[in-house]
Amino acid sequence: MDPVNLFAVASQHSRWLSVRQSTIAQNIANANTPGYKAADVTPFESTLAATQLTMTQTRPAHMAPTGRGPSDPETREDESWETMHSGNNVSLEQQLMKAGEVGGAYALNTGLVKAFHRMLMASSKG
Amino acid sequence: MFDPLRVALKVAGSGIEAQSRRLLVVSENLANAQSTGNAAGADPYARKTVSFVSELDESQGARTVKIDQVGLDRRPFRLEYDPSHPAADANGYVKFPNVDMVVELADMREANRSYEANLQVVKQARSLINMTLDLLRGS
Repeated sequence: MDPVNLFAVASQHSRWLSVRQSTIAQNIANANTPGYKAADVTPFESTLAATQLTMTQTRPAHMAPTGRGPSDPETREDESWETMHSGNNVSLEQQLMKAGEVGGAYALNTGLVKAFHRMLMASSKG
Repeated sequence: MFDPLRVALKVAGSGIEAQSRRLLVVSENLANAQSTGNAAGADPYARKTVSFVSELDESQGARTVKIDQVGLDRRPFRLEYDPSHPAADANGYVKFPNVDMVVELADMREANRSYEANLQVVKQARSLINMTLDLLRGS
């Protein structure tokens, strides 16, 4: 039977969302820093695609696992709505909209985990 | 491994601190908008400026913000003719601070806006943490 990996994907997604939230926090904190460029994390799809299944080493004679585990989200520079004279391109409106997106996605994520957990409990309790 | 949401709280905290320091400098400038020097011909209060710099927190991989330096505005002082003033020079001119009310108020509004945005981030990070904790509650 295939292992059920929804929890793994969900925790990876929530980690990605947390990293995105901390990147947004960083942009907003630096909203008035001269020369600061806004950053954003790479999309979740690419983070997920970069993740490979790892082999498990159950005996010492086995090959060492080669695949990479869950990869950490990376940040990159973001295209922004506006650039200030000081070279700063953080737009507070844009960042707060992104924060709203993160909040909604996080609620969806935890809701799904809850529902899945209920399903598991229902099937194990009988 | 660090928790990104806690990092977000910390970064937003640094933003709040920086903006409140900026507000402090603005209030200093406004309060001293009419402070002249003591002796005849002495320089009055000079407007203070504040600049931010982002600082990489190595342990957490996040860029917090801090006050770079509080400098003095080098614009010339405003001169007014008032021979009876104690700080008047030989020609009867008094030097008044180079504080422009409109600039200070605009600066204050911007600090206010940035402060609110940081506060919003703190609120949201807290609500995300709460959503995660809610998973533990019996459903």
